[in-house]
Amino acid sequence: MPEASPNKVMTTQEAIRRFVNDGEHLVIGNYTVGTCYNQVAEIVRQRKKGLTIYSQSGVFDVEMLIAGGCVSRVISTYCLRSGGRSGGSMLERYQRAGKIEVEDYSNFTYNARLTSGAQGYSFLPVLPGIMASDVFKVRDFMGDGKFGVVKCPFTGRDVPVVPAANPDVCIVHVQRADKFGNAQYWGALGSVAWACLASKRVIVSCEEIVDHEIIKASPQFTIVPSFRVDAVIEEPGGAHPAELSGYYNLDTLFWAMMDLANRNEEGFRAWMKEWVYDLPSRAAYLEHYISRFGKEPLDRLKAKPYYSAPVNYGSAFTSMWNEEGKIRIFDMTRTEFDKFLEERGLLTDVS
Amino acid sequence: MIIAVAREIADYERILLGVGLPTTAGALAKATHAPNCVLMTEAGIIDFRPLVPPNHIADVMCLRGFSYALDLFNTFTTINYRGFVDKAILGVGQVDRYGNINTSFMGGTPKTGMRLTGAGGAPDFIAYARETILTLKGGEFVPKLDYLTSPGYMGGGEERDRCGLFPPGSGPGMMISTEAIFRFDPKTKEVYLQSLLPGVDLHKVKKKVPWDLRVADPLKPFPTPTEEEIDYIRTFAPQHCVPREVMMELAVKKFFEFAGGKRKGKPG
Repeated sequence: MPEASPNKVMTTQEAIRRFVNDGEHLVIGNYTVGTCYNQVAEIVRQRKKGLTIYSQSGVFDVEMLIAGGCVSRVISTYCLRSGGRSGGSMLERYQRAGKIEVEDYSNFTYNARLTSGAQGYSFLPVLPGIMASDVFKVRDFMGDGKFGVVKCPFTGRDVPVVPAANPDVCIVHVQRADKFGNAQYWGALGSVAWACLASKRVIVSCEEIVDHEIIKASPQFTIVPSFRVDAVIEEPGGAHPAELSGYYNLDTLFWAMMDLANRNEEGFRAWMKEWVYDLPSRAAYLEHYISRFGKEPLDRLKAKPYYSAPVNYGSAFTSMWNEEGKIRIFDMTRTEFDKFLEERGLLTDVS
Repeated sequence: MIIAVAREIADYERILLGVGLPTTAGALAKATHAPNCVLMTEAGIIDFRPLVPPNHIADVMCLRGFSYALDLFNTFTTINYRGFVDKAILGVGQVDRYGNINTSFMGGTPKTGMRLTGAGGAPDFIAYARETILTLKGGEFVPKLDYLTSPGYMGGGEERDRCGLFPPGSGPGMMISTEAIFRFDPKTKEVYLQSLLPGVDLHKVKKKVPWDLRVADPLKPFPTPTEEEIDYIRTFAPQHCVPREVMMELAVKKFFEFAGGKRKGKPG
């Protein structure tokens, strides 16, 4: 549970230092887009160790954490491979060398573990067809704990189930949040909200910290409420080179450069040195980008607005007192009401 | 290839799209003969129309709005498991003669083999979509899969329907490669060659299949593209209209301009 705190706004460095510990289970909340690369890079720079990483769809985020030596186990459904058959991935290299263990789920069965954890159940049924797949049959470090089978008490049918997952910490990047931690995200929803809600701690970074009034006027976009969030970071460009709906597109050229580098381990390590270790922060990363490639590539990726149509959350009145200063349902002024209470002996003397 | 897949999509059908070629096929169908088909991806983007080819299944930058923002969990349950996916169109790494597919590991166990992208949404969609269309771009035919990611017709014949895990009659309906269209025998569920792309040699296709591939007699003619279809694809996805080498040649030029970065002394 988050500590009660009036202001959770802090830097990425502070958030990672305070809320990510060696040996913990960490879930990358973003699914394919909006990835919290700012936080991933900071975890690598702080040389966290022995993490079990949950990732719905691992791309360079998982690759960076593995290359940074932060990871001992990975639970995922889909992972990047650079350069086709002749290339590879840090995940494959480390798994073959016996340096990490990997448990492979499908998109739905992975998500069901987070949903189960978020909802407080100890397990959740998954779609029965998975029992015919090697995803169900082949087990790595989770062994018998990867899937179970229960009998439905109503139909008598066998139902496969997955155990709940409650990671220690979720790192996530979103469009906007308020200083209390109410985080708003829109676009491809994936499993982002489930990852947040399943976790014991949540670190939110966002493009902009906005006034609480903005959150209140659009609550349908809030994916995790303030009372579940530990840290709020304002970090524009935090998801680069990934895209974020309404803010910027995928930087395909930079992505291609990372992909080219990742065809072998030395290449990716050289990329990590230039773009992670040698830069202390996301701001420094963006400055370095501009000094290398100019500002134009980033400007070209900026999203042009396409606004959500406003909805009317209005109501007929927001006070029990009407325009004439009378109680709506009693037709009395405040003075009349106080007098009425006294006359009827409804007041108790507490002095 | 794109056009042949697009023609499998009927108006008003609900179509689940994997990444790459399937999305372009979906966009084409929606722009031509199936304007009311509902296109969706597992990221929860439901009823969208791609305006540029998406980079992946969570790409909301390729469109302007969509009808229904759902999350992944509920896409798999309230839509897929409940039977509201008419066709799923998915890519394949390895495939066997009964349309079982592997997108996880090749040439060894998970600890020793080559790691492909992984299961993603495939096993749960192939299980519950009424029909699955498989696209085989870089994939290969094998007698036995190294890892069974997503079950097709399992051991063939009635096995899929009999095992009780899947809706009756579901499974792969069509498979397409860059050279040919394949279908599955209604009784044995074994894959057979239905059509050849114009100019493709039958023996060349058969050589890539490590068993005696059955061939329809006569072969069905490969669908002839209309002017409208060709024009749409050239406009929507010019990059899909040139061979991979040519695309790389054009893209690499742009890439090196970028990777070369700001040149000192260059005006502007």
